[in-house]
Amino acid sequence: MNTDISIGTGNPIDRVEGRLKVMGLAKYASEFNVKNLAYAQGINSTIAKGTITAIDTSEAEKQKGVIKVLTYKNADKLKQYDEELPAISTSSIQPVLQSADVYYYGEYVGLVIAETFEQAQYAASLVKYTYSEEKPDIDFDSSRAKAYRPTEKSDYSRGDVSQGLAEADVTLEQIYNTPIEHHHPMELHAIIASWNNGNVEAYASQQIIDDATLTIADTFQIEKKNVRVIAPFVGGGFGSKLHAKQHVILGVMASKQIGRPVQMTVTRNQMFTNTNLRQRNEQKMQVGAKSDGSLTALSHDTLSHTSTYEEFQESCGTVTKMLYKTPNNKVTHRLMPMNLQTPFAMRAPGEATGSFALESAMDEMAWKLKMDPVDFRVKNDTQVDPSSDKPFSSRLLNECLKIGAKEFGWEERPQKPGTKEEGNWLVGYGVSGASRRAPYQKTSAKIILELKDSEVFATIQMDATDIGTGSYTIIAQTASEYLNIPVAQVDVELGDSDFPKTPGSGGSWGAASFSNGARAACENAIASLEEKSGLKLADAGLAKLMRSGNLNSFEAEGTAEPDEEFKKHSVFSFGANFTEVWVDKDTGVFRIKRMLNVASCGKILNPKTAFGQIIGGCVMGAGMVIAEQTKVEPNYGNFITRSFADYHVPVNLDMANIDVIFLPEEDKIANKMGIKGVGELGITSVAASIANAIFNATGKRMRDLPITPEKLILAEKEPGVA
Amino acid sequence: MRPFTYTQPETIEEALTASVTNTDSKYLGGGTNLVDLMKEDVERPSQIIEVADLDFNTITSNETGGITLGAMLSNSETANHPDIRKNYPLLSMAMLSAATAQIRNMATNGGNLLQRTRCPYFFEVSMPCNKREPGSGCGALEGANSKHAIFGWSESCVATHPSDMCVALAALEATVTLQKPGGTSRTIEFTDFHRLPGDQPEKDNTILPGEIITAIDLPNPKFQTNYHYLKIRERSSYAFALISVAAGLQISGGKITNIGLAMGGVAHKPWKLIKAEAFLTGKMPTKANFEQAAELALKGAKTLSENEYKVIMGIKAIVRALEQALAKTA
Ligand SMILES: Cc1cc2nc3c(=O)[nH]c(=O)nc-3n(C[C@H](O)[C@H](O)[C@H](O)COP(=O)(O)OP(=O)(O)OC[C@H]3O[C@@H](n4cnc5c(N)ncnc54)[C@H](O)[C@@H]3O)c2cc1C
Ligand code: SF4
Repeated sequence: MNTDISIGTGNPIDRVEGRLKVMGLAKYASEFNVKNLAYAQGINSTIAKGTITAIDTSEAEKQKGVIKVLTYKNADKLKQYDEELPAISTSSIQPVLQSADVYYYGEYVGLVIAETFEQAQYAASLVKYTYSEEKPDIDFDSSRAKAYRPTEKSDYSRGDVSQGLAEADVTLEQIYNTPIEHHHPMELHAIIASWNNGNVEAYASQQIIDDATLTIADTFQIEKKNVRVIAPFVGGGFGSKLHAKQHVILGVMASKQIGRPVQMTVTRNQMFTNTNLRQRNEQKMQVGAKSDGSLTALSHDTLSHTSTYEEFQESCGTVTKMLYKTPNNKVTHRLMPMNLQTPFAMRAPGEATGSFALESAMDEMAWKLKMDPVDFRVKNDTQVDPSSDKPFSSRLLNECLKIGAKEFGWEERPQKPGTKEEGNWLVGYGVSGASRRAPYQKTSAKIILELKDSEVFATIQMDATDIGTGSYTIIAQTASEYLNIPVAQVDVELGDSDFPKTPGSGGSWGAASFSNGARAACENAIASLEEKSGLKLADAGLAKLMRSGNLNSFEAEGTAEPDEEFKKHSVFSFGANFTEVWVDKDTGVFRIKRMLNVASCGKILNPKTAFGQIIGGCVMGAGMVIAEQTKVEPNYGNFITRSFADYHVPVNLDMANIDVIFLPEEDKIANKMGIKGVGELGITSVAASIANAIFNATGKRMRDLPITPEKLILAEKEPGVA
Repeated sequence: MRPFTYTQPETIEEALTASVTNTDSKYLGGGTNLVDLMKEDVERPSQIIEVADLDFNTITSNETGGITLGAMLSNSETANHPDIRKNYPLLSMAMLSAATAQIRNMATNGGNLLQRTRCPYFFEVSMPCNKREPGSGCGALEGANSKHAIFGWSESCVATHPSDMCVALAALEATVTLQKPGGTSRTIEFTDFHRLPGDQPEKDNTILPGEIITAIDLPNPKFQTNYHYLKIRERSSYAFALISVAAGLQISGGKITNIGLAMGGVAHKPWKLIKAEAFLTGKMPTKANFEQAAELALKGAKTLSENEYKVIMGIKAIVRALEQALAKTA
């Protein structure tokens, strides 16, 4: 499928699977032609808390094409949680339709299986539920009394924050709010499941294949080896597909019940209610600094919600622990169980929301200290992670800030807020530092080499996924580099649980893990071939190695994993974002005029796909500021933003010129190839950078996202702004 | 979606007859609103009568020196028509601010007038909504109402009309022509076409069962130089207005001799600012006068729990729209 004749990593080559995608030949989960397929449609609860007292399925069952209606009454018995509020992970079980209880509005309460999608959908609307309704906990403020500490690790402290604040010349205490958001990858969540005598085969849109097989196996209490999950292409995930959601279980259950393969697609409307969310965070920041700008205290307390049946905590305080040098530091997280869906990781969980609070607070402090916000950050740099006392494997935050400031023209920034005008617009510049953990994980890969007419063709297999990020391409480039053959001679096969195990895509670990796994397989293959042939790859080339070994084909496997050096260091990517905004003097409207993102994230395998990741992160970060928010109806607990007509993601016109600079870097402590993650770094710095620019333009401090015209028009200038 | 039948009449008479035979019918224009609402189970017609392909799809001059817009013509073709751009640029500007190019290509002029509110309770069948289900209550009145009305609402409904095109049509003093089963047609003033909710919020407008909109008429060319449509929304395109203002000025001898001023996003119908128009007529187009007119226009606004911001936003929007209109030169 691939025509690129360049060799190795570092080249900005086109995606190797690009042609398949534009020709519609890349198949996504719901697009496989499976014989005798039936279609399932989930039914959602219309109350937020209570019990189902009666179900009338008769009308639905009468409809043409309907095969079966599933409710808690006739669903398979699944494994149940054995704790009250279990902390969920990417491989947790997913019990569904197990009781008459309803925990949130939109929860699955039934399923219709029919011959066609349309029949299933219509029949689903005819199943009648009667509920005994209870008053749901849907109000953030009135749930405060229920706040609890999830685990001991939810809290962290070093030094003494109150003492640090007492020693400070300048202090700040402010609250920053981020709303409920939804992941909304372009491809809807979907599954085609086939149950055959206790064996499951599923085409499923998932980010982590191995965890999806675990979730299915554990939930149905069958052996993992009897479950196969296939996902050659995934149309985005942003975290929502890290974990197999309930529709995966429902699809498998439906197939088991009717003895036919079943397709279940989650509708866009159900993407709000049934594929998790990013929860609302209320973050209190306390900061203290000496008049020379050195920080004396940083404290970050986060209050958020989880569901009433599962626990998920987003670690907003991570950034505050490690980004700047301060002797006194405290981070806490509290959760309130509410009648809302369980939250789950969304792009840069913790960092995206946490750095909005931290980097806004840093900007507020710089203003109070009358320091340039770039200088203030540079002053508080640390090369040792203060939260673990481990040195950073590499940290070029100051370089990102300084180079960014120069390239962006930071010296043009108005010193006093609200003083630079263009017609009806006020112009402002903002900056923010960025960081995101670069976790690299154990990854295996298989390589198959074939010699054809004096050329070697390689196939790499692993259960990794390409969620639109470019995994296929960088893996092909890596193999090409280590084998010293053109990219065009490397085929990459992904997304099948029959292939060697990887950590999948997520958490910015994909590129480093997949590439090092592929590297390890290549190195093993080369070592064997060199031994067999007595030749060296560098002198003889791969074809000669195989020919002298009398081999037309050869297979090897390899595994890469973090080494001791990795464990002795703190491994993060760093960056800085610079934004220019224009804010209308009267109407509450603002425009992002331009943005520069400087990123230090190790070796860049492919500047083109990496660029796409950073730009995508910037757009998503801008979305957090412009309008993205899921609003909970205050009396009933449903979401009033229920389609893309009301859940506003940025449009092209909202996004300005975004420029990206990658600092040249190879972090060999992070891993042998020197790679760190780029998938999430881009989003982490954007919200604060824009909000800080709005302050610079107007003198208004916007601490609640999103910054809508409504909020901006009502906001007052900060005390002290002329 | 519920099963329904679909007919594609060749003539308007056939369409009207089809609607008489099955009173549970809906006419289909571009379908950009109707089909969405059918998917949500809000609209439940048992028959769809396609009218988009009927002949009313031209722009012609009318007897009064104005222009007739066919009801079945698409929003794109209307907004981009050279005569509209030249003679009614306010209408063109308002229409081009709506939705997306793709939706405007499908949407018809008739359908635009009849598009329904974006109130989230109206869209969610499990919620109370008097407009969708008379007598079930108004969820928004004491609920999520930040995007709802500040003028003319009643306890039974606080929804707004979402159209941009209609705000310009109100400012331009258009008329609407309707044809009834039996062949007779009638023409009504644009400001009488949509209605306030009162105790019958299920009725958005004064159209009678089975009637088809055939045309929208505009009087003599208006506000060809000094016009502006200001739309404040949550993102730069593809979002409904929080507040919008259509402003047209005719200035002669340093004074405003004619003015068209209407607001969107504030009421159950496009809200013509009659008092502000009267105040400004004959006055000089100064910022001070604009501000006074805006204050006057927002006087009497009744806000809900979440939409107080609309009053201050409304005032700023009126002043800005008038200033922008004034600043335009031929
Ligand atoms: C996501 C989205 C965003 C949008 N954003 C905006 C926006 O920003 N501003 C804006 O103004 N609009 C916006 N729109 C609305 C759009 O302008 C309307 O949906 C469109 O104008 C409706 O026209 P239509 O021909 O598709 O109507 P249809 O959906 O076909 O019909 C609407 C109603 O009119 C009836 N009808 C249609 N034609 C006739 C006729 N000739 N006589 C009698 N009855 C008729 C139908 O029976 C139906 O009840 C948006 C729509 C969507 C989906
Ligand atoms: S405002 Fe009108 S449309 Fe909205 S819930 Fe109330 S009655 Fe229904």
